[in-house]
Amino acid sequence: MRSYFSDFPKTALQASYWLFVIYLLLPLALMMAISFKDANFVAFPIDKWTLKWYAQVLQDKQFLEACLYSIFIAVMTTLFATIIGVWIALLISAEGIMARSVIFALACLPAVVPGLINAISLRIFIRVLDIPTGTGAIILGHTVHAVPFVVIMVLTRLRSMPNNLVDAARDLGADSFVAFMRVTLPYLVPALAGGMVFCVLTSIDDFVRTFFLGGYQTTLPMLIFAKVQGGMSPEINAMATLVLIVTAAIGLYAEHFTRRSRM
Amino acid sequence: MMVDSSMTETAKVSPRAGPSYAGWIGKLVASPLYAATIGLIANSHKTRLVLLLAIPLVWIVTLHIGPIYQMARISIMDNYPPAPGGPVYTLDNYRLFFQEPLYFMPFLRSIIFAVCVTATTLIVVYPVAYYVAKVVKPENRTRALLLLLTPFWAGELIRTFSVIMFLANRGAVNVFLREIGLIDRPIILLYNYFSLSFGVIYLISLFMLLPLYSAIEKIPSSLVDAAADLGAGPWQRFRRVILPLSKDGIISGCSLVYLTSIGVFAAPLLLGGPNSTIFPEIIASLFHGSSDKWPEGAAFSILMLAVSLSTVGLFMRVVGGRTVKLM
Repeated sequence: MRSYFSDFPKTALQASYWLFVIYLLLPLALMMAISFKDANFVAFPIDKWTLKWYAQVLQDKQFLEACLYSIFIAVMTTLFATIIGVWIALLISAEGIMARSVIFALACLPAVVPGLINAISLRIFIRVLDIPTGTGAIILGHTVHAVPFVVIMVLTRLRSMPNNLVDAARDLGADSFVAFMRVTLPYLVPALAGGMVFCVLTSIDDFVRTFFLGGYQTTLPMLIFAKVQGGMSPEINAMATLVLIVTAAIGLYAEHFTRRSRM
Repeated sequence: MMVDSSMTETAKVSPRAGPSYAGWIGKLVASPLYAATIGLIANSHKTRLVLLLAIPLVWIVTLHIGPIYQMARISIMDNYPPAPGGPVYTLDNYRLFFQEPLYFMPFLRSIIFAVCVTATTLIVVYPVAYYVAKVVKPENRTRALLLLLTPFWAGELIRTFSVIMFLANRGAVNVFLREIGLIDRPIILLYNYFSLSFGVIYLISLFMLLPLYSAIEKIPSSLVDAAADLGAGPWQRFRRVILPLSKDGIISGCSLVYLTSIGVFAAPLLLGGPNSTIFPEIIASLFHGSSDKWPEGAAFSILMLAVSLSTVGLFMRVVGGRTVKLM
């Protein structure tokens, strides 16, 4: 039987796809192009090319410090969010838990609340508890935001796990800790990898929570924000291009990894 | 659970008879400290349940509900930090919102803006998602999808920045139009609603794309074939078969895009102008700078949260009927 899907105005669909791809890629591609422009202001056309902006960025102490700080926050966030997220997912999937859907809804709450409101409520929360703004508060905020996504990913994976695997381990004499470490956790690896990459990327990218919870030390998005507000220079383009390449590489690798382990 | 408790008994009676494992976990399990701590917990059904419950529940109650509760509490205070005599509770902060058009109008504008962005994103992204899910050959699908996903691994600010360069007076669009002789002086594209919606859609269309894609991909081709065999034309097949079957994707995509676009913060700061002030900027200004108006800010945040969540709830009810699940 032939498929009638192909009877649809196929060219129109194809055109919409490619137009959309151009819409998504063109601004970023042009931004990258300007980072090679040999002039002090950001404008088209590009007549002379140079690498000096990259040299300048790589020597920029502020940029390097912001990178390290952002990476540190992302690693801590990922660590905490993964532990708490897995824990919550185990609770939700446990046998005989009452009000399962209520717990699930509440666990997802920070993902549903608009970003700004989430940031403001956390800002109020830490002031009420007298927690100072700064590194700890940022990590707390990023972790709260990341936990729901870890929960969802781990739960999806747990649902596909046959019940009898853990039962078999227990029958063979493993206590529940060993069963968890040797059966459940290895089974969760693809979901954990996906969740961790997601945590790292959202934490490095996060602006609004850092804006409200941060102290004097700037993270990468804060630095880029300050530079963009302070005036355009191809140096920002070079900076953005470097960050983009690194994050896209992490994303692509994670995509590749999860795709392969799913097969 | 019977199996469970009998296992526990044997483990308690003869701990040495337990199995041994290779690697660090074997050393850990064999150590006497383990039997006294983790082993004890792991073998007792009750402590295990408490441990499973305690940390997640404490986390959810303090950090998922706590901040919103505190925000609601401060929103009905007359002053924060409270005056020495203790806080006075009042509804003035909410009254202020409805009396002052300076607050009320941006709020309305924000809601209308988010609705327009959501509708535009749905219309723009639907054919794209459909194309990837149904027209592209299965072996090329991953590649077609990756091409769309890659830009989203660049951060929010980097993408906003690239939009600025794209639309600026000496940016790509204006230079291109001047080169081909369509315009003499640049068209103002930046710092208005156009640039704001362009940028926000650029930031969040992924949240529409993925749910739509997975919903459309699940539609069995045989249903569409059957409709065609019964004489339905392309439009009817879309209207009567494909659209209703992709309803779940439309609902979750629209909800996600709406909730995200109503809370965007960096994009309006960088892409919006004085005439396109939307509510997030107003709220943020109440928390930052010299004016320390936390109770007002908290009240406005609560209103915004209530309105945005109830809009989504209403939308799900109306479009999805009763069967909708968030996931």
